[in-house]
Amino acid sequence: MTASLLQAPCLHRTVLANGLTVLVLENPVADIVSARLFIRAGSAFEAPHQAGIVSFLMGLLTKGTATLSSMAIAETVESVGASLGTDAAADYSVISLKTVSADFPEIFALAATLLRQPSFPLDEIDLERKLTLQQIRSMQEQPFTVAFNQLRKDMYGEHPYALPGIGTEATVADLTQGQLFDFHRQHLRPDAVVVTIVGRITPEAALAQVEQSLGDWPVAQAPSSVLELPVVTPVGTCSMVTQDTNQAIVMVGYPAAPVKHPTYAALKLLNTYLGNGLSSRLFVELREKRGLAYDVSAFYPTRLGLSQFVAYIGTAPENTATALEGLRFEVERLQTTALSEDELQAAKNKLLGQYALGKQTNAQIAQLLGWYEILGLGVEYDQEFQDMVAAVTVGDTEAAAQEFFHTPCISLLGPEKFVAPVAATQA
Amino acid sequence: MNSVNFPASIIRLENGLTLIHQEIAATPVVVADVWVRAGAITEPAAWAGMAHFLEHMIFKGTDQLPPGTFDYTIETQGGMTNAATSHDYAHFYITIAAEMLPQTLPYLADLLLHAAIPADEFGRERQVVLEEILQAQDDPDWLGYQAMAELVYADHPYGRPVLGTAEILQQRSPEEMRCFHQAHYQPDKMTVVITGGIALEPTLAMVKHAFRGFASPPPCPAAAIAPVPTLTEVRRETLHLPRLEQSRLCLAWPGPGIDQLETAYGLDLLAAILAEGRSSRLVRELREDRQLVQDISAGFSLQRDCSLFTVQAWLDGDDVDRVEAIVCDRMDELATQPISEAELARAKRLLCNDYAFSTEAPGQLAGLYGYYGTLATADRCLAYVPTLQGYTTDRLRHLAGQHLTPLRYASTRLHPA
Repeated sequence: MTASLLQAPCLHRTVLANGLTVLVLENPVADIVSARLFIRAGSAFEAPHQAGIVSFLMGLLTKGTATLSSMAIAETVESVGASLGTDAAADYSVISLKTVSADFPEIFALAATLLRQPSFPLDEIDLERKLTLQQIRSMQEQPFTVAFNQLRKDMYGEHPYALPGIGTEATVADLTQGQLFDFHRQHLRPDAVVVTIVGRITPEAALAQVEQSLGDWPVAQAPSSVLELPVVTPVGTCSMVTQDTNQAIVMVGYPAAPVKHPTYAALKLLNTYLGNGLSSRLFVELREKRGLAYDVSAFYPTRLGLSQFVAYIGTAPENTATALEGLRFEVERLQTTALSEDELQAAKNKLLGQYALGKQTNAQIAQLLGWYEILGLGVEYDQEFQDMVAAVTVGDTEAAAQEFFHTPCISLLGPEKFVAPVAATQA
Repeated sequence: MNSVNFPASIIRLENGLTLIHQEIAATPVVVADVWVRAGAITEPAAWAGMAHFLEHMIFKGTDQLPPGTFDYTIETQGGMTNAATSHDYAHFYITIAAEMLPQTLPYLADLLLHAAIPADEFGRERQVVLEEILQAQDDPDWLGYQAMAELVYADHPYGRPVLGTAEILQQRSPEEMRCFHQAHYQPDKMTVVITGGIALEPTLAMVKHAFRGFASPPPCPAAAIAPVPTLTEVRRETLHLPRLEQSRLCLAWPGPGIDQLETAYGLDLLAAILAEGRSSRLVRELREDRQLVQDISAGFSLQRDCSLFTVQAWLDGDDVDRVEAIVCDRMDELATQPISEAELARAKRLLCNDYAFSTEAPGQLAGLYGYYGTLATADRCLAYVPTLQGYTTDRLRHLAGQHLTPLRYASTRLHPA
């Protein structure tokens, strides 16, 4: 498999005079070009009273510019059968597009205009607000989401990672056009943007395209803002939501290392060991051997700030106590029971193999490269990450477990009769 | 229908197994995707859920492979494996580095041909499937889909959930499942698709060697497939669900089966004209302009016996009647008023590009070939783009009149309890 994207002869990295970074990888196999325009501003950059503004702003980027209405933008994209969308994550946001190669110049130019010159029309703001508020209410329909939102809040307190990126009903209700323009001026600037282009296009053509659309974007005058996240020291908690669901959701979350922390790779391996795939420890122990669940897994998101290591299970309500005990046992035993050399090697093969499988399409490659660049890790991180994983020792994983897997935040959701007694024992 | 040269090889082995292979240069990855004509449609009603439960049990090993060995082997070599079951098929796939295929494909074949279905594992895994059912029952959109399917398909197997019910599964035995397995996992019902960084010759040798020694099929209760009822009026069903934050409206029209692909692709175009993208008719009118819905979508899902054309909206309960009336008016307009050339061109381009975008990775291509190979023949997917291109606005209008009348459809509503 492709060990490294960097070794590919055709990866070109360029920084324009205004500070904008461009990454181009030519891949002539299919008649497709994928591009991403990453912005170094995610929901972590929001003031508490403006929670949700990044997601709101990204949604509105495609709803109007100085010269184009929302419908004109949609027609431009859809009439050539392209796809163009936006997304806001915790540490960054992104405009994504995909076209057949012949349509790329037109749609890329449009994306650049959306990035630089949104007009945030008032009627579109009203519609977006209405849709967003309903979307926030609709999150209540999904037990997993409700349980996870509760866990996040307990774990992060005043930290911006405490809230879902979409914001809250209260904050979204108050967002104004003026705040959108302010945020855009402050954060959407050439030195905070990374453009990645992957597909059937030469590096010269791609670069010329970016120069033409974004090369004359003036350098921002103010210094770029530095993200300062509050320090949180989570304490163990247990919260419950009572709902008459058919299944209970049990979740345990541990504070976990940020991406630039030395134990990041070890924790990624522990996440693979516990929660990744049909041969993972949680799947085998709690599903295959004990039949407690259909869905049982773990996740450890890559974050610039303090991350979280979450294990969860959906189970029949009467199994709530057993499931909680099982989850905690499997995670926390790693403090005292180190992985065997074989287990560690198996986890490495799995993690690195799947990492390689995650680079199959132009869109996947464009996402990965730009993501590393926007997080400040650099495209070299594609290789560095693999080297770090390969170098992790049994001792490293044990140390990581001891450092992080001791004081969980617990989130329970289910019928009161079953979850309340379990919550009471955790108090 | 028009066709162009099919880039894959389709080879029928002596035992009746079909192999579809396409080498993709410059990819280090291989996908092996095995499709079996053994979906829920092949179950007797009293065995509902068997096909899906069997899909779980396939992974529980053979006399040669203890439970879990297969998953462990694939995943620790950096690969991925999974499976899915629908009414028309079950399929099992691995994605792995090309050089690992020779060591891993025989394992997959062994599971599929010689699943042991041990009694103790059967009991444990049934708990897992029961959990899967509980989870589905907490999902309002799953409940809404089942209600709609029952309304449209009645006693045809498409009207039953693929998962089956707890009651039925509790009564099933490992012996019954072995019988179902051996009856249906036969070479003439199986298509092995291999795409990616491997040449035809070694692939053929590998498949011939791995997929042999099928059990002789035992007698097994046959499915009695009730006909799809003809809708003669508007049928309605309303569910009141707890924890619902928003109402749903789903309008459904039964469509042709896989034997009428040209019609099917025309209905794809009509779905795109109606609700694909912000500039489509229904999204533009109902979400952007009149702001009566949170979202609205239209879809055509192709099935062997009887496909489904649906229009779905997420909206306030108070607006449901009004939105249903408007959608019906728009369906009528599709049939009675000219469709503009620009709209047709836009829909064609969207669908043709979607097709190109969805055949980029070996796994996507394998899925496409396997699906068509199981329901029709694999090379039929090649007719998709030329058939779409051949549609005229007049033919589409005619098609709408035939298949999407506001006089006969199924309407399912979900409201907060």
